[in-house]
Amino acid sequence: MRLYNLKYIFLSGMLLFAVASCNNDDNGMDPEQIAMPTCDDGIMNGDETGVDCGGTCAPCDDGEAMAPDFSGTYAQVDHMGRPGINTVLSADMEGMPSVKDAFNVTVPSQMVAEFQAGFEARLEQYHDVYAIKLGLDPADVNYQNNILNLDATTLTTVLAADVLQVAPDEVTTYYNGTVGLTGRALTDDVIDISLILLFGGETGDRFSGQDTDNDGMADLPRLTSDGVSLTATIDAEFPYVSNPQ
Amino acid sequence: MKKSKLLLGMAALAVTGVVLVAADHLDAPSSGGTTADIADFFAFEPETGSANTTFVVDLQSNVLPDLAYGTFDEDILTEINIDTDGDLVEDLVIQAIPRDGRMYFFYGEAADLGLNSQVLVNAPLGDVAISAETATVETTDSGARIFAGPRQDPFFFDFFQFNAVINPDPESAPLGFLPPSEAENTFAGANTMSIVVEMPNAMLGTTTALNAFNIPVYNTWVTTNRKQ
Repeated sequence: MRLYNLKYIFLSGMLLFAVASCNNDDNGMDPEQIAMPTCDDGIMNGDETGVDCGGTCAPCDDGEAMAPDFSGTYAQVDHMGRPGINTVLSADMEGMPSVKDAFNVTVPSQMVAEFQAGFEARLEQYHDVYAIKLGLDPADVNYQNNILNLDATTLTTVLAADVLQVAPDEVTTYYNGTVGLTGRALTDDVIDISLILLFGGETGDRFSGQDTDNDGMADLPRLTSDGVSLTATIDAEFPYVSNPQ
Repeated sequence: MKKSKLLLGMAALAVTGVVLVAADHLDAPSSGGTTADIADFFAFEPETGSANTTFVVDLQSNVLPDLAYGTFDEDILTEINIDTDGDLVEDLVIQAIPRDGRMYFFYGEAADLGLNSQVLVNAPLGDVAISAETATVETTDSGARIFAGPRQDPFFFDFFQFNAVINPDPESAPLGFLPPSEAENTFAGANTMSIVVEMPNAMLGTTTALNAFNIPVYNTWVTTNRKQ
């Protein structure tokens, strides 16, 4: 709408200039005619809101296709790369500014500098919580290098740069036991993969509900799988995600 | 030292009762539950050997009754950022913004780095009617495919048990997550507002960014941006 108006204002300006030029040539045109807008003079003038329409003329036909207005500035409010990063590894504390909000308005190139240390502390806190639940000294239950042999600092450095990597020329898998970080398919069990990387230790099953005294009951917590799998329908054809239910 | 660290940890875990919904659903106080809330993000090869890359952005969710759900907000610009040289700064951007029942897509070199953006009005990719129940899709002149509308939420997670697991109360889920026979997918039956765009890799170009396995990758992330 605005664009159209601007265009017509420009056009009418050009016409007036042309008419004024004629006057300068003194070809006998009555200057009064220029000053009297009519509803059929082919320019937007008077109180018209379009060319020969609107105002005291007939209403403009708004049915014409007008380019939608996309003007303005849009300021970032949310961010996501890999699943669950901010949810699981940012810790908000009562009375303190929200770390989660700050994360969502930080550009990826700054994320490691600003959030890696907090993520690493949070990872260790989760281990402390389970030490207590197991009746152990938190000093004795710490993050152990994971199946990718990443230490806590390296792992949280990778995760703090919160981007989802996708390989144009490789099969997509978040992690399949051999290779990973080539994207995220709709069917990938990203929660179990994340839990294995955070709590699985070097074997991947460090805390997976083991029965250590053979009494038929789990003695270690189950932290490497949430136990659920995909329930939504995935289609073979674009857009792949299925009709709402 | 360990004890003070532990106390700090306990304080941190005693979060203020905010219910967290992953993957990114309701992840933070400011964006959670609003029309700008990013629920999830996927990027994948649509089939083995395909020369295309598909991006799925899920906004909003009806998994909990107090979440925003059901309408794309004309004040919210969604951006899929793509870094092709490994510096974690976007080189390309795909934008999506709704107007009067249609979703308009734009694609081009990233012009506004940082936290403020403008619509790339001179680089339209195409537009598509926002679907109701059944998917309406468009293929653009440049060979991209676009879609916007409500879809099933494909995320799966026993989210309520997760909250019990991270609760520092020693009595809370001492055995962690539940075995498959007892675990429940919190997102079963949930819907979300999806924006899906499939781009020929030729349009995205080559990339020099590498993942941890030394495989060439696009570094991608999605943002929502509110009109000022």
